[in-house]
Order: sequence, then structure tokens, then C-alpha cells
Amino acid sequence: MAFEMPKETSESKIREVTLGTGDVKVGGENILPFYLFEGEMPNRPLIAVEVYDDNPQEWSPVVAEPLKDVLADPVAWAKKAQDEWGADLIALRLKSTDPKGDDKPAEEAAQTAKAVAEAVSIPVIVYGSEDVDKDGDVLKAAAVATEGKNVVLGPANEDNYKTVGAAALGYKQTVAAKTPIDVNLAKQLNILLSNLGVDVGNILVDPTTGALGYGLEYTYSVMERFKIAALRQDDSMTQMPLIADVGVEAWKAKEAKAPAADEPAWGDENKRGVLWEILTASSLLVAGADVVIMRHPDAIKTVRKVIDSLMG
Amino acid sequence: MENGKVRVCFYPEDRCIEVDKGENVLRAAMKADVHINASCGGEGYCGKCRVIVEKGDVKQKLQVKLSEEEIKRGYVLACSATLESDADIRVPIESQIGDKSALTRRPPIPLKGYTLSAKDWAERLPQWELNPPTTKFHLVLDKPTLEDNLSDAERIKRELSRLAGLKDVVVDFPMLQVLPGLIRAASFDVTVTVLDRGQELRAVRIEKSDTSQGQAAIAVDLGTTTVSTQLVDLQTGKVIAEASDYNGQISFGEDIISRIIYSTRSTGLAKLQSAAVNTIWNLIQQMVEQTNMEYCNITHLCISGNTTMTHLLLGIDPRYIRVDPYIPVAQYFPWIKASNIGIRIASGVYMRCTPGVASYVGGDIVAGVLASGMFNSEKITLYIDIGTNGEMALGNKDWLISCSCSAGPAFEGAGVKHGMRATRGAIEQVRINEVTLEPMIITVGNKRPIGICGSGLIDALAELFLTGILDERGKIKTELSETNPRVRQGDWGGEYVLAWADESGTSRDIVITDPDIDNLMRAKAAIYAGINILLEEVGMTVDMVEEILIAGAFGRYLEIDKAIIIGLLPDVDTERIKFVGNGSLLGSYLMALSKNLIAEADNIANMMTYLELSTNNKFMDQYVSALFLPHTHIDDFPSVKLRLEEARETARLGREAGGEGA
Repeated sequence: MAFEMPKETSESKIREVTLGTGDVKVGGENILPFYLFEGEMPNRPLIAVEVYDDNPQEWSPVVAEPLKDVLADPVAWAKKAQDEWGADLIALRLKSTDPKGDDKPAEEAAQTAKAVAEAVSIPVIVYGSEDVDKDGDVLKAAAVATEGKNVVLGPANEDNYKTVGAAALGYKQTVAAKTPIDVNLAKQLNILLSNLGVDVGNILVDPTTGALGYGLEYTYSVMERFKIAALRQDDSMTQMPLIADVGVEAWKAKEAKAPAADEPAWGDENKRGVLWEILTASSLLVAGADVVIMRHPDAIKTVRKVIDSLMG
Repeated sequence: MENGKVRVCFYPEDRCIEVDKGENVLRAAMKADVHINASCGGEGYCGKCRVIVEKGDVKQKLQVKLSEEEIKRGYVLACSATLESDADIRVPIESQIGDKSALTRRPPIPLKGYTLSAKDWAERLPQWELNPPTTKFHLVLDKPTLEDNLSDAERIKRELSRLAGLKDVVVDFPMLQVLPGLIRAASFDVTVTVLDRGQELRAVRIEKSDTSQGQAAIAVDLGTTTVSTQLVDLQTGKVIAEASDYNGQISFGEDIISRIIYSTRSTGLAKLQSAAVNTIWNLIQQMVEQTNMEYCNITHLCISGNTTMTHLLLGIDPRYIRVDPYIPVAQYFPWIKASNIGIRIASGVYMRCTPGVASYVGGDIVAGVLASGMFNSEKITLYIDIGTNGEMALGNKDWLISCSCSAGPAFEGAGVKHGMRATRGAIEQVRINEVTLEPMIITVGNKRPIGICGSGLIDALAELFLTGILDERGKIKTELSETNPRVRQGDWGGEYVLAWADESGTSRDIVITDPDIDNLMRAKAAIYAGINILLEEVGMTVDMVEEILIAGAFGRYLEIDKAIIIGLLPDVDTERIKFVGNGSLLGSYLMALSKNLIAEADNIANMMTYLELSTNNKFMDQYVSALFLPHTHIDDFPSVKLRLEEARETARLGREAGGEGA
């Protein structure tokens, strides 16, 4: 008798969430990541390309160089990401609103969000500056400005989920719920959002990302446990697609951005940061990320190939 | 109808309940789950709880807030009226504000769990007998002669052997010092107190003439936060006085870790020891003053405390309890003279601390397990002591396993803004109307509220959650302040006003605040996590536990269903949950009366396995998932899910009805 591979099949599946107004969907799988021999993964994991609205100055030249003609123009940046790098999504960060930085008014940033959402045909994630209080205003304004676009607003956290959730509800947007690397806390925020009236089918979970060397294993474990709870224990409050916020975290790592002059033993600085981002992203894809937010064009291209090969 | 019971029906709810004759109308309404606005705890001060007696004999004590006209029409104040016969009582609209009669509320379910009492011990503790470790013997000694020239001490030993068959009694040294003068002054008519230490008999005290009639002992529960004591008559086995107070050590730190740290400072250990001794001594004084017992009637003390408290009381350095690998100095403690640690009641008074299991499972749990009788039972039993350290034990007569999780003192009323012990004026029961968010409160002694005790806090948390004033994280929804004055933004976050200043006994608003609720949430999460880890460790689920016994100093009782609503206890059939009261005190009391049980406590301490949670990496995960109302995994709490849906539906209907009315 021929060998038959044992299969662990599941009645449960991750919710399929529609992003934007077209036919882009995320989630929907009834298997652990890429276990295609056991079931279905109807949607490929998506790559969201980071776009900033504050003309970032402090970045490593390795990542700033290929972006230099668009860094100051979020709309052009988003278009380039879509047209040249094949972004599945745009992840717009309204960093200019950060009270510790430029502290631009919410309304101004919301107009940027609107312009970006109108300039591209792919769905958009709109993240605030991750200042709990300011984000409430910023994301509300962004929700109003992008009404009808079904953007992903976030991150909603324990302290501002009411404002962000209400904005998403009121203007029919999707929510990204972010909690600090803990399965239970992530589930709790989903419960709070759903009690607020947010449809569980309109929530993505951002469980907080640790880059390679900076807590990657924690994020890996949390994502894995979240998927197992969703699929094996049929826990409906964990059946949301997962976001891994890779670019920003990978490029924070000293190992990614230190110039070769400072750390000659660490090898070619032009490859190091890109590899750091690729390794973080591909590890988390295997852990269960449904969306990876990325930064460097070369890393994006490579991770796309990784996804292609994993999807067979 | 049973003798001494009356049946009272409340309208318009049409809810009837049987209560003891003489029961207070407000308490009867609480039992029947009928909401009557009541803010002053039952002192008759606020005058809000007006009800109309339609039928029956209801005796009104105070009438200050009622007009002649109202009295004529049958009005009474529910809080200060008692039921003398079967009665029909109508709750007028103003006393139930907005609670529309059309709304059906769920029928009352048993509010308090069954409390173990004396009649259970016969079955649970067959070893118990009235045979205390100290006994007074009245001896009329033969006077010495040239022929009968035994020493004074040997003469006493001979008489003890003759009279009571006691062999090889050791005469305590201090007794020798007083012996020659005393027995001659008493003309050889003396009373000798003999202590049975297990391994030896020791004559510890001698008194003139016959004093064997009055003999008493002290039982002590030495808690981290609260110390409770009983004065026990050793002839009858009855508790003749009780007293409790906060542990005087609190000013040196609220939890055991900060106490241990303090003890390592120069004179820290001595200060902590003397604070505990003073607390116990003050309580003994209070009890003796209440009764006609004399200090010299007291012959021994049985003290149960957690391992750290026991070390500190005995002046033993506890520092190694705190550091890996968490080693206490001793598990078993010998009988010692109480005066050795500064408790000077009378000469020759000995005390014994109940043995512990490990650094964080101490004599209080051993005493509780003893009192619960679970070590005798075939049934798989879970014993939970809800104190500053949530300690618990699982098992039956064949095996016992225990663990401890730091819960904090919130359930004892400490670390809570208006928290207090369950003494006069403490809010012990709370109901909140789903629609109006008005509270119905009852206080210990029906006095105007001055604070809130453990059972009141559990009630309040459950009611705030059911009525939607709290979200699942235990945060007060301050946006409700726009429509309801009882919810407001305080200095430290949201707060809910249980009693307004003009209704309280302190002339201040009695509130429960966000930080209070945080502390309660942490406490309940730690305990629930501990329960799960303990069960997981032995590969069991809560369904396999046949009996859950709850101990703790909550007040009169704990409302089991409320404890389940907040996720403190697992969602099991309430029939399986029983309340022991203060298990540590009960165990101390039983040991004070029965030396068999002292030996039994040693066996329990010896057989119990200890599970260290501080190194258990699953604990944090369980804890965080329990840090939610009722729990992150709501499916583990099906009855709560149902009640929440009902409460939300009632609130919705109420709002709609209110809307139409307006």
C-alpha cells in the first residue's frame, strides 16, 4: 500500500477580509501557513509597502537611496510602490502628526491619506504616528477623508480602540488592532472592538513585530499560537488575518543600518539591512502573517519570490 | 409553613420568597432579587426605600422620613421594617425608578453558597473530639511527711499519674521556681495545667485551689492583611468572643515580599514581630474584656498563618523565602511559650503555629484543608483561600497538591479607595438597576455606609459589569457620565458613586474607582489562573472537581454567582461550591479544641505536594487571559454569557420603555 501522508484538517478557517473596494482579499485559509497539502489558502499573503508623509531624514542611506526621488512625496511614493515594485497594498504612515515630531494637524494628514488612496488602485492601510491620543483624532479625520475607500485604519490599541473603532464603523473602514505581543491581549482587543459593534470580519490583528534579533521569536510564537487557536480550537475571536509590521522594525536594528565603516566585521552594508528585512519577513510569513508591511524595494522583490515559491 | 418562617411577596414583580420571621424587608427584597433604591445601607436615613405594605404585619422601627399621611397609607421604609407575618409589599414607582414592571427579571437563584457549619464536621471530621492539648487538673496532694518525702515536683507527678494516668510528665522549669511557696500557701490544694506536646507531657502552670472550671484557648488566623481571633471555652467548645483587625505590619509593607525586605533591615525583623504580637495582644484584650473569662483562664494558643507571617511572628529570619530556590527556615514549629515572643497572657501559656507546606503555602492553608475535611474525603475537592495570597489545594484523602499566587489584599478591602473590613457600616451587598444605574446597597449592621468590604466589592464588580458600566477590561465607561451622575471622571480615572456624601457615614461620596477595579481584577485573575494551573498540573479539568470550597474573610458570605460573573471562580454548578468562611481561623479553632487534629495537621503538611508558580511559565499566560471580564475565553463561562445577554436585553427594553414614557 502506498504511503499516505497524514493530514490534520480543520473545519475552522481564518476570516476572509476584503480590503479596499476591489477584489483584494486577505485570509480565508483553513490551514497553518503554507500547509497546502492539508487544505486551502485561497489568498496569497500580501505585501504592503510603507509610505511616510513626513519625508524621513534619519534613514540609512541603503534604504533612503532607492527612494530618494519620492521620499518627500507620499503620493508619488505610493504610485511607485504600486507600479514599479508590485505592492499589493500601500501602508501609509501619518508620521507627520506625531506630537513628539512635526505635530501636524490631523486634518492635513487626512488630506494626504485621501490623496494617496485616490492616486492608487490598490487598497491602503492608514497608520497614525502611534501616539495613543493623537491617533484617535488623526484616524478619525482619515476615516472621514477616505470614506468609501475601505482603508485599514490603525493601529487601534487598548486605549484608543473606542475612537478608532467608532471611526471605522461610521465610515465603513477596516480596523487593524494592535496589542503588545500576547495572544490573550490580542483576543481581548478583538472582543472589545466587536462589542463596540465592529464586525469581526473587518478586523486585522497586528500582534506587534519584533525584528530578527529583537524579539522575532516572540512574534513568531504569538502568531503561531494565534493561528492554532483559530484553526484547531475554533476560537472565533482569533480568526482574524495577521499583520506583520516588518520594515520599520527591521530597519531599527543596529545590525541592519550600521555603516560598514563602523562595523567592518558585519559585512556589506548594502546587503545587510535588506537581508535583515527579508529574513524577518519570511520568518513571519511562515509563522502566519497574512500581510507583511515592508520598506526596501529589493527586500520586497525577494519576499515576493519567497511567497511565490511557498505557494507552489 | 415552617415555624419561624414567613412568606413575603413583592409587587409589581410578583416575586415571592420565604424568609425568617423578623427579617428586614430590604434584605428580603435583596434575596428575592427585587430592586428597591436604597443608598444609606439600611439606616433609615435616606428615606428612599419607601414601600407600601398591602397585607400582613410589618413592624416599622423608625419613621423619620415618612409623613403621617404616608404612614396612614401603609408606607414603611424597607430598610428599617421587619416582617412579622406573611406579607404583600408593593414597591412604588419612585422606589424602583424606571424599573418597568413589564420587564421580567430572572427568578432569584440561590445567592449565597452553602456555608459549612458545625453539623458538617461530624461527617467531615470524624477525628474531631473535645480533647484540647492543655488540660487543667485539680490535685489535692498528700502533704509530705518523713515517710512520704518525695520532692514537690515528684509529688505532683505522682498525683497526676494516680488521678489521670499521666506518666512521665515533665515539670516546666518556671513552675519549679514558684512551686515550694505556692503549694504550701495553697495547703497542697492546687490546679496544674498539663500540655500534651505530642511527644511529651509537660506541666506548665500551677495555680492555687481548684481553677479547672474556667479554661479557655485562643485561636488565631494570622493573615498578611487581616488578623482574626477567637476566644474559645475549652469546656464547652464554644467560641465566646471574636475580634479581628488589620495586621499592624501593614505599615511596613502591604504584601509578604515587602515585609520580607523590611525584615532584612537592621531592626526590621524585631519591628515586624512586635507589630504582629501587638495586633494579637490587642485582639486578646478586646475579647477578654467582652467576656467574664480572665487572662489566667487562657492556657494555649493555636495560630495559623502563611509561612512568612509565621516566621515573622516567631522572629525567624524569612529572607530565604524570597530568593530562589525559596526555602523557609522550618515547616513544623514546636510548642513554645507565648511569652518567648512577647505575648504575655499568664504564666505557662504555650502556643503552636500550624505547620506549613512550603514557602508560599503555609499553616493557614493546612488549617483550612484540615477544617474543610477534604483530607478525609473520597471526593476530589478544590480548596481556595481568597486572601492576600490566593492559596489553593486540590485533592482528596489520597493526594493533595497546593500552590499560591499573589492576589493582593483587594478582597480584604485594602488597596481599595473606600475599602474596609467587613465591620459595621461596610457595604456588603450591592445591586445596580440595569436601566437607571441606581444602586441598592446593604451594609453590615444596617448602618450608613462608610466603606465597602470584600463581598460588597465582588458584588459591585459583578453588577457594574452586568449593567454595562464596566467594559470587559474592567474600565468604567466614563462616557456614561453624560447621562448619569453616578458615573464620573475622578482624579484617578473613572468612578461610580455607591453612596452620596449626604447618605454616607463619612460625609464623603463612597465611590469605587478604576484603580480599585484594577486591583480587584488582578486579584481575581491571579486566583483563577492558579486554579487552572493546578488543575492542568494534575491533568484534570474543573468538571472533574466534585466540590469547591471557598475560604476567605469576605464578610458574612460570598455570593457565589457574583464570583462566577467576575471570573474569580470557574463557571460550574453553584451547588458544587461551598463556603468555609475563614478556613484558617476555623482550623485554628478546631486544633485548639482537639489535639487529634493537631496531629492531623502535621500529616496534612507532610502529604501535600507544592507547586511553585513563580517558575511556571504558563502562569503569566493564564493570568493575562483571566485579566478580563469574565475571562478572555468567554466560552468557558456559558452561564455568564447568558446573564450578560439578558442584562443587556433588559437594559435595552428599559431604555425603550423609558423613551416612550418621556
